[in-house]
Amino acid sequence: MPPSETQPRFRSRSRWGHFSVQQAPLLLSFAILAGTFGVYVGLFVANQHHFLTPFEGQSIVNTALPLVFAAVGQSIVVLTRGIDLSVGGVMALTNTIVASNMHASTGSMVAWSLIGLVIGAGAGLVNGCLIAFGRLQPILVTLATLSIYTGLAIKVLPEPGGAIPVEYTKYMANVNGPWGLIYVAGLLLVWFVFRRTPFGVAVYAIGNDQAAARASGIKVRPAKVGVYVFAGTLYSAGALFFSATTLGGDATAFDPFILTSIAAVVLGGISFFGGRGSAVGAVAGAFALTLVTPLLFQANVNQLYTDAFQGLFLVLAVVLAGLVGRLVSARA
Amino acid sequence: MSVATAAAKERIRRVPESLTPNRLRTIVAFVAAIAVFVIGDILHPGFGSAESVKAILLTASFVGFVAAGQTFVVLVGGIDLSVPWVLNAAAILVVTTSLGQDGRAAWAVLLTLAMGLGFGLVNGLAVAFLAVPAVVITLAMNGIAQGLTLGLSQGLTCSSCASYAPPVVRDAVTGEALGIPGGLFLWLGIVLLMTFVLGYTTFGRRVYAIGNNSEASFLAGVNVRLVTVVLYMLSGMFAAFAGITLAAYGGQASLGMGDPYLFQSIAAVVIGGVSILGGRGNYLGSTAGSVTLVALVTLLLAENMPDWGRDVVYGGVILVILLLYGREKTAV
Repeated sequence: MPPSETQPRFRSRSRWGHFSVQQAPLLLSFAILAGTFGVYVGLFVANQHHFLTPFEGQSIVNTALPLVFAAVGQSIVVLTRGIDLSVGGVMALTNTIVASNMHASTGSMVAWSLIGLVIGAGAGLVNGCLIAFGRLQPILVTLATLSIYTGLAIKVLPEPGGAIPVEYTKYMANVNGPWGLIYVAGLLLVWFVFRRTPFGVAVYAIGNDQAAARASGIKVRPAKVGVYVFAGTLYSAGALFFSATTLGGDATAFDPFILTSIAAVVLGGISFFGGRGSAVGAVAGAFALTLVTPLLFQANVNQLYTDAFQGLFLVLAVVLAGLVGRLVSARA
Repeated sequence: MSVATAAAKERIRRVPESLTPNRLRTIVAFVAAIAVFVIGDILHPGFGSAESVKAILLTASFVGFVAAGQTFVVLVGGIDLSVPWVLNAAAILVVTTSLGQDGRAAWAVLLTLAMGLGFGLVNGLAVAFLAVPAVVITLAMNGIAQGLTLGLSQGLTCSSCASYAPPVVRDAVTGEALGIPGGLFLWLGIVLLMTFVLGYTTFGRRVYAIGNNSEASFLAGVNVRLVTVVLYMLSGMFAAFAGITLAAYGGQASLGMGDPYLFQSIAAVVIGGVSILGGRGNYLGSTAGSVTLVALVTLLLAENMPDWGRDVVYGGVILVILLLYGREKTAV
């Protein structure tokens, strides 16, 4: 075979063309969110004969916030080719400890919020050390720590209970409108900064090729520990938002976040083979998933089917992402 | 001197040949199971009695059934997270279709096993043909199974949902012959079948080949996709089988009865020395893993260990086992 045939051929491409190929999964996640939102609004207007009110807006944003934070944490882990099943346990532990200790004073609310974040960071530190220094598989480690953290959460609060002061809700989940979006904006800002730090670069490098990252002077093990600590902190932040809207503690309420955080990452177009994708997509995915429940409600579907539709949503997104990926690489 | 060295080499080589690391792990798993019984009998005289051992083994058999399917998919580097609700759906399907009548039992059991195969088929097709990560598709299918189960049974409030398992099926699991419950004969049959299939058939060789290097096995003429699909189907079928036997054991189906089996089946596989990366391990190990796990739980119950403590010990045991022999070889 002549060498020219084996050479990859490069084609000049417009700026937009290059962008669309690079960002196809991210654009797909926006399209999924827009589509879901469109169907929801359509059904809502057909049923209620008026457009969304601030109440629906704040309700959707408040419901989405815990998942948005959990999904961004999961994204960072998945970008390093890992997976974190302990997300449910970390959130449960944070929620139960905060709910059984927080009082209505500003000092107490600030202190216990910070303690909550430290709990998440600590739980992530354990995960990260076992994975990076113990050289263990992320899925097995986090399955084991999920059991441990959930157990500890049940120890803290054997029955659903505890109390979150109503004042806390005012700050974390404004009841008058979708002002919780400010927190989403803050999170995206954190993401954009993180993405441009050496730590962020290391995360992508490790996900693409761990050995190459190591050879290029990236300290793989500390970076991996950092990833799980960062992710754990974000899960706890999600749990704080969850506490603020449910006003109580429940050790068993967080299992669904394992499925939904991973689903949001998939919907967000982040590759499970590491190093590809953006947490911005996961935020879009988290909102799309959150919309499934009110959408089904407007469509008069029994709420018992919610899990089935979320699962179906996930399957469709995966299949669609695969097809788009194939289409894009065929064109490229 | 050269003769002496050769003899020494010969001696060194002879030991590892008969005692490969894989066999060692299986033996360790069995020793661990026996150790739990011995320690239990010292702490609680009667723990190691025939009656007690029989009860523990029967409880372990349900984990063992699920672990059979899990072993299959883990051997090719996959994982099946759809176990809990496929199992639960199976338990409900078998009682609602049989309505507790012996005449309907055969069809109900066949239909239920077919449902398990169906869920496995979707998992397998997605993994083999669409290159969807196993974690993602099986998690999604678990959600779909959960939503469909809850929705179709109206949250287990349907009129036929309170039916009992047919007496024939119940006798097959709990009825005793020669003082041994039928469930243990079923398990023995599955142990023999699994050992034969994995160790002495072409299919078994192909499973290990794919687990070690799927590309090389493809080049060597193995139909990797077909084998993968079959393995996921078997995993779904074994989960359904466990659901049927659990419904038979308890008499009725309940919601959430499958939840413990995801963690326990993976734990049994890990304790049994099956590598999560695929290609290493066998079902005998998983069998010993199931017994160790269930015996340990029973012992902790006898020690009046609260729920939360059991969760923590579960996770701790997995981590210890992983640190003992689940570590990846290459330094990261």
